[in-house]
Amino acid sequence: MPVTDQIVVRCRKGDVRAFRELYEAYSRAMYNICLRMTGHAADAEDVLQEAFVQVFKNLEKLTSDSSLTAWIKRIVVNHCLSYLRKKKVYFEEVGEMDAAEEAVVDEGAYAFTVSAVKEAIGQLPDGYRTVLNLYIFEEYSHREIAEMLGISESTAKTQFMRAKEKVRQLVKVKTKEV
Amino acid sequence: MHVCQSLEKINTMKLEDFIHQNRSAFEEEGPGPRVWAALEKELPAKQPARIVSMMAKHWWKAAIIVALVVNAGLLVKFLNAKQEVAYVVPEMEEMQVYYTSKIEQKLEELNKYPAEQLGLDSTTREELKLRNETYLLLEKELMSNPGNERIRAAMVRYYQMKLELLDKILTEQDKYHNVTPSNKKDVL
Repeated sequence: MPVTDQIVVRCRKGDVRAFRELYEAYSRAMYNICLRMTGHAADAEDVLQEAFVQVFKNLEKLTSDSSLTAWIKRIVVNHCLSYLRKKKVYFEEVGEMDAAEEAVVDEGAYAFTVSAVKEAIGQLPDGYRTVLNLYIFEEYSHREIAEMLGISESTAKTQFMRAKEKVRQLVKVKTKEV
Repeated sequence: MHVCQSLEKINTMKLEDFIHQNRSAFEEEGPGPRVWAALEKELPAKQPARIVSMMAKHWWKAAIIVALVVNAGLLVKFLNAKQEVAYVVPEMEEMQVYYTSKIEQKLEELNKYPAEQLGLDSTTREELKLRNETYLLLEKELMSNPGNERIRAAMVRYYQMKLELLDKILTEQDKYHNVTPSNKKDVL
């Protein structure tokens, strides 16, 4: 169902059906963001609900030239980050990866399967998982991620590389088991 | 487990590329129905509906306020007509003391309730005050024409209406404060 500006106009007039249409158009994609970020279905639903309350209440603030999808996604991601902060997940500064650490990586040597990658991401520590999700799935740049998490760009990049390395190791172990 | 794994396509590529190429396989179903059910309760209310429901709830307050304003308008008309039939009425002061003390007592009671619970807007609150514009106008006229029967009658009517309005508001607040399972239906 394509979401047009018309829905936003109807929502602003208080049309309940328009709110429902807006929710149905975005809920699945936004729930998936919440699920990846929180790692738990029930928490993902709670965060999604809180985020949509904000979306509905702030539709007046959406300017005509801004993208509705990007706007909703940013609200949802911010709520996910707020959830993680409440869980005391800290995004601390780390040193840059050294040359020896980077040299080990040979991505082509790994055989990925969807289930193994999903499981590996699920096993990552919250900090690594957040950075990896924001970069690969939500397609934010390292600079944007750094701003969102309040860390330096080089830390964001390093955390991402380490998260990827961890996924590779976990997938490797899984592949050996199979 | 072996069967599941063998059914999946084995890829040898960069992690980012692998995820991008299999993006849909990483997506789960949407949220459960409880999310919308909870959201529906928090939807911003339609502005016209809110006004209508507020009017429905406070219609009698609105009606009395209108009556007070109309009454004030009529008084002004009387005063402008410059009726000069003046009689000295000794109990005037006593009447004024009686009503003003009653009204002030009711206003004190009313002020104990939080503003949001009373649901009164600023115009209504202004109208409820004892020494509002209408009152001051009447008082001024009475001072210069202490025996004018029509002014006196109008002032008594003004006091009585205000007292009646305050009583009704206080009775309603009492009902909301003393909701029990047996009287809940009546209150709502």
